[in-house]
Amino acid sequence: MSADLLSVERVTKVYARGGLFGRGAFRAVDGVSFALDADRPEIFAIVGESGSGKTTLSRMILNLVAPTAGAIRFRGQDVAHIRGGRARSAFMGAVQPIFQNPFEAFNPLKRIDRYLLMTARRFRGARGQEAERLADDALRKVGLSFAEVRGRFPHELSGGQLQRVAIARALIPGPALLVADEPVSMVDASLRMAIVSLFRALRDDLRVSIIYITHDLATAYYISDRIIIMQKGKVVESGDARAVLDNPQHPYSILLKESVLSPDTIGEGILGKRPPATVDAR
Amino acid sequence: MHGYGIYLLKRFAQFVLVVFIGISLTFFITHLTPIDPVDRMVAGMTTFGQSDPEAVEAMREALRALYGTGAPLLDQYFEYWGRMLVFDFGPSLSSFPTPVSQLIGRALPWTFGLLATCTLIAWVLGNLLGGLAGYYRNNLALKTFGVVAMGFHPIPHYIIAFLLLILFGYLWPILPISGGASQQVERGLNLPFVLSVLKHSVLPGLAIILISIGSWFMGMRALVSNIVTEDYVVYAELGGVSRRRIMRSYVMRNAIAPQVTGLAMSMSGFYNAAIIIEYVFSYPGLGRLLIAGVYAGDYGLVLGVTAISIVAVSAAVFLIDVLYPLFDPRVQLS
Repeated sequence: MSADLLSVERVTKVYARGGLFGRGAFRAVDGVSFALDADRPEIFAIVGESGSGKTTLSRMILNLVAPTAGAIRFRGQDVAHIRGGRARSAFMGAVQPIFQNPFEAFNPLKRIDRYLLMTARRFRGARGQEAERLADDALRKVGLSFAEVRGRFPHELSGGQLQRVAIARALIPGPALLVADEPVSMVDASLRMAIVSLFRALRDDLRVSIIYITHDLATAYYISDRIIIMQKGKVVESGDARAVLDNPQHPYSILLKESVLSPDTIGEGILGKRPPATVDAR
Repeated sequence: MHGYGIYLLKRFAQFVLVVFIGISLTFFITHLTPIDPVDRMVAGMTTFGQSDPEAVEAMREALRALYGTGAPLLDQYFEYWGRMLVFDFGPSLSSFPTPVSQLIGRALPWTFGLLATCTLIAWVLGNLLGGLAGYYRNNLALKTFGVVAMGFHPIPHYIIAFLLLILFGYLWPILPISGGASQQVERGLNLPFVLSVLKHSVLPGLAIILISIGSWFMGMRALVSNIVTEDYVVYAELGGVSRRRIMRSYVMRNAIAPQVTGLAMSMSGFYNAAIIIEYVFSYPGLGRLLIAGVYAGDYGLVLGVTAISIVAVSAAVFLIDVLYPLFDPRVQLS
């Protein structure tokens, strides 16, 4: 058994594209490998444009879809072999997801507080006062309190509040790994930094590893320790986040970086400095 | 329950308003036509044979008094409402002197029994199968059902009724094709009568179910296939919540609320279809009574059936509205 918290080993996912006029195969994820160390919690960013396979990769890590080839191991156990209610529940106690759209993360007919209390009960065995205390603790870490969400339905909270509740819910079981798929893309800019900084605090204080999936290079640069850049299912560049983003090697990484609005050229209608890179990358 | 009380009051006011407008409309439509029902009746009676002009005039006066058509329109309107409130629609012209209310009273249980039962069966079955089809998208049996339901959906209800009639009344005559119960059995709460009623209601009932189940099925399937991709369902699946439980309290529960509203909204449509279907199968309900009344020029009967229909459909919609908060807890708060 390795000391890896999570190891992704040459994972490939092929979707069959069936149509009236013949079948084709679409490689959503193509031979991706990386590993997270169990003893050194980190924020691991997966960056890429839409369709680059980052969401498929996260769904495989969460055991929502099985890889076509390769294996994903969590604490040495192949996640594709996790079957049945109890095993799934145990896995989820250690690996929690955070989704992109906070309005979809909660059943609109269930009260928020009930969600938090049920999470406390399922994963921590807490009831009554104890469960409320756990929920309140988790909410306070994201700048909310139990009193604010008591008896509320999801539609009564704002998107930013809901996303923070979703993160609080993910914290209640005391997970070792958070898989956050575009967690800030639906949140307004003022909250974005707060949530991103929260991730850093979680890594340092609670020793939680975070897989941070995004297309936003600025936040990735700000918080991640390591980064992989994906294009069309393949990892085109990987390594230390600052090193990669300060000095990207692959044409696609260069293009990505240059697509970010630079404060120097704002108002001039120029994206980046070297438009010809577009030609090389494709 | 304070919010619910206000909600209830609003819905009830709406119900009263709809009934008021509907019944007033039936009155004015029938009374603003230039045709005088008494004149038409008298003309019908005197077409054949010679009659004493004075006797005819006397009969005209007597009928005017009986139906109150001599008075000014507004007086007639208030009179009409006064009688409407006690369900007195006067004597029927075609089955003189049986009161219209008695004819309606005889027909109402048939229509109510058939329509309410079949609408509910179609709604429950359509939603259940549609929900399962949306959740288990690769199930072959449910896929097949979807194709069949989609095929039936655009066929007009009277064509389906005739199809059933030809299939089970002529090509493979195993079911009675007309009437509400066999004439041979004694009417009352006894087993042969109940069985006879059930047997006679199979074909008209099947027609009603076939025309409505498809829309419930397809609506629910579309709703559910949207909901299953929502993150809260994904989250529950991740956590190993059992599929039954996910289906029940995450998926169906969210999808059912719009379908309840849909039921209330399509109530009158089903009623319209049921009238035609009753006529096709000579079912002794309100529909057949209404059409017979129209053919016979029986104003009182037509007005009576229309008024009862307006009240019944509005009451059904009101009932569904009252039950709606049970399906959607958010209603109480707003």
